[in-house]
Amino acid sequence: MAMAAHVSAVRFGVLGAIGVTLLFSPLLWAQTVVTAVADSATAVSYDSLPDAPTPTDAVLTADVDAGLDSSSFGSLFQQSATLSSHSQNPAPPSLSDLGLTPDQTKADPDAQARLDRRTQMLKIHQRLGLLTTIPIAAACFSGAGAVPDRNTYGDTTSRDVHVGIAAAAIGMYAATAFYAIRAPRIPDSGPARGGIKIHKYLIWIHAPGMILTPILGTMAFNDIANGHKPGGIEQYHQEVAVTTAVAYAASIIAVSWPIHLHF
Amino acid sequence: MKNLCFLAVLLLALPVYAQGDHAWLLDQSSLTYHMSHPLHEVDGTSHAAKGKGVCHAGVCDFLLAAPVKTFDSGDSNRDLHMLQVTRGAEFPVVVVRFRIPESAVNLPTLDCDLEVQFAGNTAHYAHVSFQQQIDGKAHHITGVVPSTLSDFKIPPPSFFTVPIKNEIPVRVDTTWHQQ
Repeated sequence: MAMAAHVSAVRFGVLGAIGVTLLFSPLLWAQTVVTAVADSATAVSYDSLPDAPTPTDAVLTADVDAGLDSSSFGSLFQQSATLSSHSQNPAPPSLSDLGLTPDQTKADPDAQARLDRRTQMLKIHQRLGLLTTIPIAAACFSGAGAVPDRNTYGDTTSRDVHVGIAAAAIGMYAATAFYAIRAPRIPDSGPARGGIKIHKYLIWIHAPGMILTPILGTMAFNDIANGHKPGGIEQYHQEVAVTTAVAYAASIIAVSWPIHLHF
Repeated sequence: MKNLCFLAVLLLALPVYAQGDHAWLLDQSSLTYHMSHPLHEVDGTSHAAKGKGVCHAGVCDFLLAAPVKTFDSGDSNRDLHMLQVTRGAEFPVVVVRFRIPESAVNLPTLDCDLEVQFAGNTAHYAHVSFQQQIDGKAHHITGVVPSTLSDFKIPPPSFFTVPIKNEIPVRVDTTWHQQ
């Protein structure tokens, strides 16, 4: 009987010890964390800490010993409060809780500068491109008058005007293209989507056209200056020029597409 | 014996306390901004938002974040210009925070005070209404944030020298579940 009572008492003692340990384990855990914070943040040795610090006291002591200012104190106190209450009062969610990688949240001033430069150059590209439609349209209209009749081969005025306007158009086109070509590329931006894709496809029509048109025009000009009607490939100067102008206009519309007019 | 019972009650009480807090996770989302210009009506959508909510002591704190570069308007050139004008490389994430009483979590209409961080600036929107439909564990929440360019000090981009409208409402369509 006495033996049974002794076993019961021992069992009670062991269970009690386990229970008390479990009950106080969150507090012990909190103290460990705060002590570690105080140690790492202020480089205060464990010797300078009180023997049995409470979470708040640990930080206060560390703060005084390290001679920190009030803002540091506030910061440490907040860290302490956050950590010690972690198991009791969860903090509002933060970006790190969402699983966003550092690459996704990191500021990249170089990339921003690249974007700024790209936008700046493409704005110039856009303005010049719009302005270039004027000499291109004028070249098309003046071209109609540049075709000589059988008895006006010697009159070069209309052709000279046409050549001058076309030269201006080609020069402005080259400048427009320069700003698009020199605009920085943005890495990892993926393939072109939307209107810009057709805008880029149309380059393959109007860019060769802008090279071929003046070549054919020069050949035709020389034919006419020599007193005979343009033959060979130069007889297609007008068709190539019109195709180039249409592709150029389509390129402007494509980059603006879709257009929903509402005022 | 009484002591043992008391101890057991205390031990069992610890997990009960732990269950007092709970979290919400964002299952799927679509954030869509709308931009108006005399020649264009554009919608840009991101499905890459991530979100979490933590409820404690009768209050739920929610956080929703989406990388700016994940907004897709269907035109890569426009998206890059958007990224530039909103300084999306310097401030790559748009962050929305709001807090609602835990008692309101299941209401059909949620009245939220939002804090939105975007383009290096923070704007507050008071009493933004969101509609909620609860389907089993899924909470489907929709609404519109009445944001403007000036709220975030974003210079309005222009097209053919005409600037876009200042109003950039953002339509929010999210599905959450309680963890």
